[in-house]
Amino acid sequence: MGIEKALRLVKDLPRVALNNIKNSPMDQKKPHNLRRGWGKNKTHGRGHKGQGQRMTLPKLGFETGHKPFYLRVPQEYYYEGHHLKRQYPPLSLLRLQRMIDMGCLDPNEVIDISSICMTGHYHLHVDRRHYGINLTEEGAEKFSTPICIEVQWASEMTIATIERLGGVIMTRFYDPLSLIALQDPETYFKTGKPIPKCKLPPTDAVEYYSDPKFRGYLADPEKIAEERVALSQKYGYDLPDLSESDKLSLLLKRKDPRQIFFGLHPGWIVNLTEKKILKPKAEYLQEYYHS
Amino acid sequence: RYLWRNSICQQKIDITLKYTDEASGSKANKEPTLYEKFLKNPKSVPLITSRKLENCNKYRQPRQAWLETLSTVEDHKLGMLDLHPDIFAVHPRLDILYHNLRWQEFYKKIDYNWTPSRGDLDVSGGKQMPQKGTGRARNRNRSSIMFRTGAKPLGPKGPRALFYMLPKQYRVQGLCTALSFKYAQNNLHIVDSLEIPTDDPEYIQDLIDTRFWGFSALFVDDTDYMPENITYALAEFPSYNILPVYGLNVRDMLKHETLILTLAAVEKIEQKLLFHSSRNKRSSKFSMDTRYDQY
Repeated sequence: MGIEKALRLVKDLPRVALNNIKNSPMDQKKPHNLRRGWGKNKTHGRGHKGQGQRMTLPKLGFETGHKPFYLRVPQEYYYEGHHLKRQYPPLSLLRLQRMIDMGCLDPNEVIDISSICMTGHYHLHVDRRHYGINLTEEGAEKFSTPICIEVQWASEMTIATIERLGGVIMTRFYDPLSLIALQDPETYFKTGKPIPKCKLPPTDAVEYYSDPKFRGYLADPEKIAEERVALSQKYGYDLPDLSESDKLSLLLKRKDPRQIFFGLHPGWIVNLTEKKILKPKAEYLQEYYHS
Repeated sequence: RYLWRNSICQQKIDITLKYTDEASGSKANKEPTLYEKFLKNPKSVPLITSRKLENCNKYRQPRQAWLETLSTVEDHKLGMLDLHPDIFAVHPRLDILYHNLRWQEFYKKIDYNWTPSRGDLDVSGGKQMPQKGTGRARNRNRSSIMFRTGAKPLGPKGPRALFYMLPKQYRVQGLCTALSFKYAQNNLHIVDSLEIPTDDPEYIQDLIDTRFWGFSALFVDDTDYMPENITYALAEFPSYNILPVYGLNVRDMLKHETLILTLAAVEKIEQKLLFHSSRNKRSSKFSMDTRYDQY
């Protein structure tokens, strides 16, 4: 958009010709100061004798022979890129059960990352490279509600505990911009931005999210069904038949890989004050959000 | 100039006679120009309303320009063309233009300044005065830099070439920015061809005056074989110039107030600039021996 604005400005300005073109100020090199001006005679600003006048000063960082500061601290490559790595702050099954018991979470609805964040008992900070929920195993023996939950990281034990009780667990990836919308939907809708289109996981996460063992959202549903059976045999419990449960419609609820909120599509703008939803009409926008 | 024009007029008479002899038999087959067709029946001539652009960015709108003629003094439009935004609507960067102008000026320069150093001065090698006893500072021969008539230390030495090559992207983007400026400031006109009905210089002068094209104009055609009428007409005017596409450069575009391109020239320019702007390969490693072949 800056180019269009600049070209519109140029239209009304005088004709660009050979006599009104200058270089950008940062590119203009200053000439080397020879120090021959008034007051700069004799020593030329160098003082008297010594290394300063004789151009024999030591190199930058030198500390008269002992090991200098910049060489004292060794390089530790195992911390390389630690500030850029994805983090999944943990949420234990114990805490989850407590939230359900206290009434913060409704087991009759799909438990999403946004519903967990809105309880107030779990916090996500997207600017600290938090990429979602890691459901840990602590409290597995005390967990006792069949739920439909969507998290970003889960181990085998957690998957087993939830499925044993007749629930469904899915692992799903959200990119940081989508997480900003998910962790606090109200403030996001108040900004007036359209609902973002969720991006696919990065190359080192694609394997996890397309693995049926971890119930990834990109995995084959048939293979997930096979893995459910295998897991039940491994941990030694009877796999309950979900088709007989009351909550079948709930347990079958799934989001499109590009969708963030249930019932809302990417590209829509939600107006909370007037209680309206604005949908894009232009073809290029529809093409973009449907792709 | 009078003699030269007379000689050319004589040559022209010979040529025209020769042409009429040849063409008299096939006058019926002579094709009327686009504008003659348009005058007879405006609906017979297909108006150009669009142009196919190569690799156009779908998030940027193509620019549009009128297709005009030089067949009449009055301004008649034959249609409208699409111009590629990556060439005719590039970020208007003045510093790229500055770099191009400086390069065009400096790569041809040779600095001929030469001052003699101590060894070049024609001076006897003997001691000027005895070491001691004179009351003056001690010295050797007259070429010393301390002497008034001595040598200049580290002065300019001999013919020095200020040749350098501006990186390719700067040169490509320089052409694109110059074209964008010309388009944005309404100084760019696209013409179907450079053929005019007479070689009278007044015709071209009237044409340029009625259209307010300014004091200087640059006509660009795709090849260096130009129609004869326009070459004779523009020979009278030092400020109206013709160029083929391979001679297009930033300095000439900015020096002349208006830029007039033919449709064939636009096609060629677009193709070449798009090719080079997205290309980062070099055919061979640069060396000073073979530098001129590469550019």
